[in-house]
Amino acid sequence: MDVGEKDKYELEKRNDNGINYQGSGMSSAWQFGGGSLTSTPVSLVPSDNPLVIGSASGSASIVDSFCPNLWEHPANSQNLGFCDINVQNGVSSSNAIGIAKGSPASMRSSIDRPFDMGWNATSSMLPAGILPQNLSQLPADSAFIERAAKFSSYNGGSFSDMVNPFGIPESMAVYNRGVSLMQGPQDVFAISGMKSVSGVEYHKTKLIATEASGDACLQAENRATQESSLKNDRRSESLVRSNEEANQRNGGSCNESNEAESSGGVGGQDESSAMDGTGGEPSAKGVSSKKRKRSIQGAGSQSPVEAAEDGAENQQNGDRNQSTTMNKTTTKHGKQGSQASDPPKEEYIHVRARRGQATNSHSLAERVRREKISERMKFLQDLVPGCSKVTGKAVMLDEIINYVQSLQRQVEFLSMKLATVNPRLDCNIEGLLAKDIIQSRAGPSTLGFSPDLSVGYSPLHLSQPGLVHGGLPVMGNNADFMRRTLGPHLTPVTGGFKEPNQLSNAWEDELHNVVQMNYGTAAPSDSQEALNHQAIRK
Amino acid sequence: MDSQLLNPTSLKSRFTARFLRALTKINAPNPISSSSPTPREIFQRYRRIKVAADKSMAYSVRSRTTWSRATLSRLRTRSRHRRLASFGPRSSVTTAAVLKKTSSHGKENEGGLGVQAGELRELVPGGEAMDLCNLLDETAHYIKCLTTQVQVMKTIANLYSLE
Repeated sequence: MDVGEKDKYELEKRNDNGINYQGSGMSSAWQFGGGSLTSTPVSLVPSDNPLVIGSASGSASIVDSFCPNLWEHPANSQNLGFCDINVQNGVSSSNAIGIAKGSPASMRSSIDRPFDMGWNATSSMLPAGILPQNLSQLPADSAFIERAAKFSSYNGGSFSDMVNPFGIPESMAVYNRGVSLMQGPQDVFAISGMKSVSGVEYHKTKLIATEASGDACLQAENRATQESSLKNDRRSESLVRSNEEANQRNGGSCNESNEAESSGGVGGQDESSAMDGTGGEPSAKGVSSKKRKRSIQGAGSQSPVEAAEDGAENQQNGDRNQSTTMNKTTTKHGKQGSQASDPPKEEYIHVRARRGQATNSHSLAERVRREKISERMKFLQDLVPGCSKVTGKAVMLDEIINYVQSLQRQVEFLSMKLATVNPRLDCNIEGLLAKDIIQSRAGPSTLGFSPDLSVGYSPLHLSQPGLVHGGLPVMGNNADFMRRTLGPHLTPVTGGFKEPNQLSNAWEDELHNVVQMNYGTAAPSDSQEALNHQAIRK
Repeated sequence: MDSQLLNPTSLKSRFTARFLRALTKINAPNPISSSSPTPREIFQRYRRIKVAADKSMAYSVRSRTTWSRATLSRLRTRSRHRRLASFGPRSSVTTAAVLKKTSSHGKENEGGLGVQAGELRELVPGGEAMDLCNLLDETAHYIKCLTTQVQVMKTIANLYSLE
């Protein structure tokens, strides 16, 4: 469909731009339900929780800035990159652009298929068998869930009219059931929609399947969008992990439902009331859909997993504690919002209960958190010098605290040093450093700085005689002053951390070379006086 | 080492450019200190340089991290404090209240690390409102930026002391 293709490209463009107006873009592109879409306000996208969004995006950007491979999940970094695209509410878009450009190609190829399917599905009910082939090629992509969520949010009212829930063959009935339940808990929809697709590896693909079928875990995804900023990086991380686990066990369908749930059920703050109202209905349907899902997937390798899932699901049905993790506040809302439909393992959708481990949703959430924290502790261990031998979180944290304190004290000490040492040939130094810093890459900026160099030299020429005499006493004062005030600081500063010293030494050598070069190229009178100055100094 | 080109868009170069600009601004009012600067002057300049260093680092990071945003807002409220001494810290009070409201929810999962986590929160700006997971991320980025800051300032101080 031409319209579909155009919309796809629109979406891709928006991805690359890193703008978080995907809601509006999507709504215009998604022309299934009709008019209600375009008018949907973008305000559905959460932009009011700067702290959470910032932290989520911050963490993602941290990973990006440090070392994408550091977390040892290449797909993970990709996911995080995409998360950034969605997460940057009011955050500078440059980061998103950089990340988005990192993997647009794969995204495009992956986006094309599901949207193709989506449009086809609405026009003519596609059998479920077609979907898995295309879906399996899609990379796990948390951004997609959010987009799907946005789609769904805009189509909230219209889909129920479109689909007749119960008059369709079994595979589609699962989809349609989801649609009918849309107005209630979206988890059910996502799950039921997912279940019809079997053997799909990626949870996101499952969401796409639901979209394609048109039932749209719409409200579920609406919640996902609201939570998207919160959950993106976490979800993607756990998504990758769960994907790996799923791949090992061929547990595609379970992941689907997990993912659907996580996308749908986690936030649910706005929809908790709606959910509660329809809670009774979906619970029954959820149970039956759960069973149906089992039958569709068959047993085989999944039996142990399913057994664990059953236990988890039953518990979760009782607990309603799907969202968990991210914040306890969201967990409470999730409890209300998540209905009876099977929230398989835990909040994060894809985290699967490992064999022999407790499948209580609480403990699963705890385990996920603990794993994340230990990951980050390992990363910090690499960052803080001299911490390779330290074992244990408490000692590690103490080391980190000491290191941060020492760095802060170093900054204070250096600023004090700069305050005392300063009153001299500033312009020259700035010119040197600027020339060094903005070296070859940026041509125009070097041009911009060259006038500064020439300006810098003339005051040097004029002021030197006075400075020569004034400099020495200042130096003496500086030394005494520094020793007096900074005595207690000196030992920790010099004491220990070799890494930054080595790096700064390398840079200092380079700058010294530049300094010598500049002294060589200065005007003859200037150079003579500069040399005199240097001689007096030394 | 001469062939080592500095990436113009790296954190280090961004910070250095900003910091140098700020330094020139601070040093401009005192062109020639023929007389030895009084300790009071030095102390004032020290404070200004410290603020400039923190500010340039926070600006180099933009708003990507919580700590940079917290630092920037803190600096702004401080400047506002100084200008409107009588009108008081309304904004800081409100931000603190907001932070306290949101902070209580995320700290429940620290396990046995509550004491250290609290200390870390005090050290890292804006750390009060984050759960341990995010706090560790912020700490990592903060450490990276602090080391960059220390490197640059060391180099500048050495250059100044050489000339």
